Amino acid sequence: MLRGLDIVRMRLRSLTRKARVEQELDREMRFHLDQQTEENIAAGMTPDHARRAALCSLEGITRIEEECRDMRRTNLIDDFWYDLRHAARALGNSPGFALVMILTLALSIGANTAIFSVVNGVLLRRLPYPDQNRVVRFFTANANYPKFPVNAWDFLDFRARNRSFENMAVMTRSDVQLSGAGEPIRLTAFQVSGAYFRVLGLSPERGREFDFRDELPGNGRVAMISDRLWRTRFHTDPKVVGQTVWLEQIPFTVVGVMPAETKHPGNEYRAVPYGDSVDVWRPFTFKGNPNRRGSHFLEGIGRLRKGVSPENAQQEMNAIMAQLAREHPDNDAGWRVLVVPLYREIVGASERMLLVLLGAVALVLLIACANAANLLLARATSRRREMAMRLALGAGRSRLIRQMLTESVLLSMAGGLAGSALAGGGVKILVALLPGGFPRAQDIHVNLGVFAFALTVTIGSGILFGLAPALQSYRVDLQQNLREGGRGAAGSVRHLRLRNALVVSELSLACVLLAGAGLLLRSFVNLLLSEPGFRSEHVLTAVVSLPNDTYKTDGAVSRFYDQLVARLSILPGVRTAGVGSDLPWTGYDDNLGGFQIEGKQHPPNEEFHARYHAASPDYFRALGIPLVRGRFFSDADGAKAPAVLVINQAMAERYWPGEDVIGRRINFFNDHPKESDWTRVVGVVGDVKDTPEKGAAQPAFWWPVAQVPFPAQEAAIAIRSDSTPVLLVNAIRSAVRDLDPALAVANVRLMDQIADASVSAPRFTLFLVALFAALAITLAGIGTYGVISYSVNQRTQEFGVRVALGARPWDVLRLVFGQGLKLALIGVGLGIVGALVLARLLRTMLYQVSAADPLTFCAIAIFALAIATLACYLPARRATRADAMVALRAE
Amino acid sequence: MSKPSDLIQGTLDLLILKTLSLEPKHGWAIAKRIQQVSDEVLQVTQGALYPALHRLEQQGWIRSEWRASETGREAKFYVLTRAGRTQLQKELAQWERLSHAVGLITRMA
Repeated sequence: MLRGLDIVRMRLRSLTRKARVEQELDREMRFHLDQQTEENIAAGMTPDHARRAALCSLEGITRIEEECRDMRRTNLIDDFWYDLRHAARALGNSPGFALVMILTLALSIGANTAIFSVVNGVLLRRLPYPDQNRVVRFFTANANYPKFPVNAWDFLDFRARNRSFENMAVMTRSDVQLSGAGEPIRLTAFQVSGAYFRVLGLSPERGREFDFRDELPGNGRVAMISDRLWRTRFHTDPKVVGQTVWLEQIPFTVVGVMPAETKHPGNEYRAVPYGDSVDVWRPFTFKGNPNRRGSHFLEGIGRLRKGVSPENAQQEMNAIMAQLAREHPDNDAGWRVLVVPLYREIVGASERMLLVLLGAVALVLLIACANAANLLLARATSRRREMAMRLALGAGRSRLIRQMLTESVLLSMAGGLAGSALAGGGVKILVALLPGGFPRAQDIHVNLGVFAFALTVTIGSGILFGLAPALQSYRVDLQQNLREGGRGAAGSVRHLRLRNALVVSELSLACVLLAGAGLLLRSFVNLLLSEPGFRSEHVLTAVVSLPNDTYKTDGAVSRFYDQLVARLSILPGVRTAGVGSDLPWTGYDDNLGGFQIEGKQHPPNEEFHARYHAASPDYFRALGIPLVRGRFFSDADGAKAPAVLVINQAMAERYWPGEDVIGRRINFFNDHPKESDWTRVVGVVGDVKDTPEKGAAQPAFWWPVAQVPFPAQEAAIAIRSDSTPVLLVNAIRSAVRDLDPALAVANVRLMDQIADASVSAPRFTLFLVALFAALAITLAGIGTYGVISYSVNQRTQEFGVRVALGARPWDVLRLVFGQGLKLALIGVGLGIVGALVLARLLRTMLYQVSAADPLTFCAIAIFALAIATLACYLPARRATRADAMVALRAE
Repeated sequence: MSKPSDLIQGTLDLLILKTLSLEPKHGWAIAKRIQQVSDEVLQVTQGALYPALHRLEQQGWIRSEWRASETGREAKFYVLTRAGRTQLQKELAQWERLSHAVGLITRMA
């Protein structure tokens, strides 16, 4: 206890009363010296001699003193403050140098921090579902569909027979119109099977969730609502459970309220991305014939039992699928089951892109470090004499290294601080730029973890780029440096070699980034130039949906659409107006399989299949989708008229290769068709791919709106106008309101916006990688400039002498450029090799560009060499002005 | 950094504490005393002595004060603290154990 106090007292004293302690140390040593001197005199030495002998026996009094200070443990802190002040002063003496260093570090640390905060939010943060690793999605797959929704009856068998899952559920999106008090609104809603929330590990805040009884036909008039809906529509009524909510103009009983932080796990079919809010859940009702298993539209999600891996679960599910194939060979043969961890499913698509960005930005940081090391080395050269002097005076080499590192870490800290500020703003910009539907965008924040990352990167890079100059000073040759008086031409050969190596690596890393940016740029240009299959300019679109109850029959629906098109067509400025089931590039992928084609036999275990759509007569014209053969629909293709179809080229080529398809017939719903069951192809339209980067269009066909066999409750409007389509927004709204005031118009967008959004992901990646590449090549240029300029300074006399001996400016230029371009060629060469290896990581992100595209690689090599040449030019010009007289006089 | 090569590591602390257990001394006197008592066998170099003193002081085993020396000049005297006395007992016991063990082995072999 007492000792503890003593220790604290001593430490404090050593720290705070430093002058006093130092003085005491000095007195103590002098006392010892005097005693020794006296003893020596007593032994018979002359006073002078005695003193010298005493000093000798004390062998380096400063060293003893230094060790005493070390023992007091205050040296570390003292030295640190000393080093810090020294470093700050040194940097203050060359503000330009400090500014360049801090700025480049700030940019690269800031960029790293910003990208990391995206990675942190999207990839590293846990999903808001307890035991997230046990939550999986399951799909079915066959030869045609690599990843497809699940059939309802198959699901019931999966659920009954499996032993891998704690709970399994299915969901399907079916939005609802909420009516009652206030304006009718469209809500995102899902139909889910029982125990859906138990799968996610969530439980209702009030009431209960659905159980298996709710799945039975006739029991489905119950609903769960979101916290948001509870607050806005029910005014946080604590007795909301048991009340009635009107959905699609049908009364539902509220049985539960989900808590505010309930996040949708994301789904593919009529996709709602992860994290979006869902407002209403209704039970999915299993009805119909359990032996007809052709239709796949449910999306599976499940919670594995503890200790069961997704692979094991997939194995078991496939075994069950094989049983089902024996029991229902018509529908279930040829299908497999995929079990994918939910986390993979959510981040899967963006993971590659984020890792590429993180890699790119890490390269920028490496280049910035190499650059900083380079600049520090240049400075270290001019300080060699100082270092040698201090070594000679007995400073420990580790002490010198510590001092150099303090300086570099001070620089990196200043850079890191500015960088963090940049990152704060950068993250906001990044999130705003993120492509639409980017998973977990709302989870991206600058938080403690991000700051810890920034700090680690900052200190780490400070040490990294400080190490080279520090170790260099460690190897200072005392004698030589002191003798040379710091001019040190010979001693700096090794030094220059290190700096050359740094420049080469800067250039090669920059080339890797340039190559990445170049490939992405070419890919992006290809995407923009690719034929979309429609003309998006001057087209305005919107979505209207009709509640089932008011529009019960197909007739009522198509009558409404006819009236709507008629009203829209006569609006001033409208050239053509059409309605259809969907719009290009909006993620629609409703598929129909199992139809018959007259005169064709499908291969075993592989049905005929195609995307199905609906279109009004002017739908194709409004979107600018070209007619290849035959005709579009006309007003004559009504409900009573002969059944007709328009197909796309992909379907024509898939099922009637090389034939004339007009007049060919398809039968959709009857195994033994009558003459009237056949539907005739009347037109072929150009292909529109699902998304612009898809390799080819899927086979697809369109029914006339009046002949659609499934009630089309949701319709997309497309209007081609003469001038600015935005002016028509209100006109559309009022046209719909005039027809039925209870309807909501949603998603009013220009077709241009849809087209633009579909390339937003590649554009985002391209923008960032290009930004990083620009930063990288600038840094590499600065690095090259620094080394060449330094070497020109070193050789000024040599050049002077050469000029004096008759060298022309051209000869001098050639010397300098020769040196610079040798480095550049090595750097670019290494960079191209590295880029060829690394570009393969980009392959999945490229569109119609090879990862080893020769044009891109040539272009970036030339560009990098041009930058290096530019960086050599200024010092080279200075070299040509070397004055012979000055040089000779200096000798 | 430099360790007393002529002393078994750790024994310097013991010698200093033992020397100070009789009476407070300054650095010079400590070195002289160790030298004399050991019949000139043990030489404590200054380079080892002073850092050791500062370390012991820092650890609270000894305290320092300025007093007049035999010659009347002010010198820095080191005094054993109570904690230092306990520490000395511990180190002594350990030293006894160690030297006994070494003695056993050397006699046996």
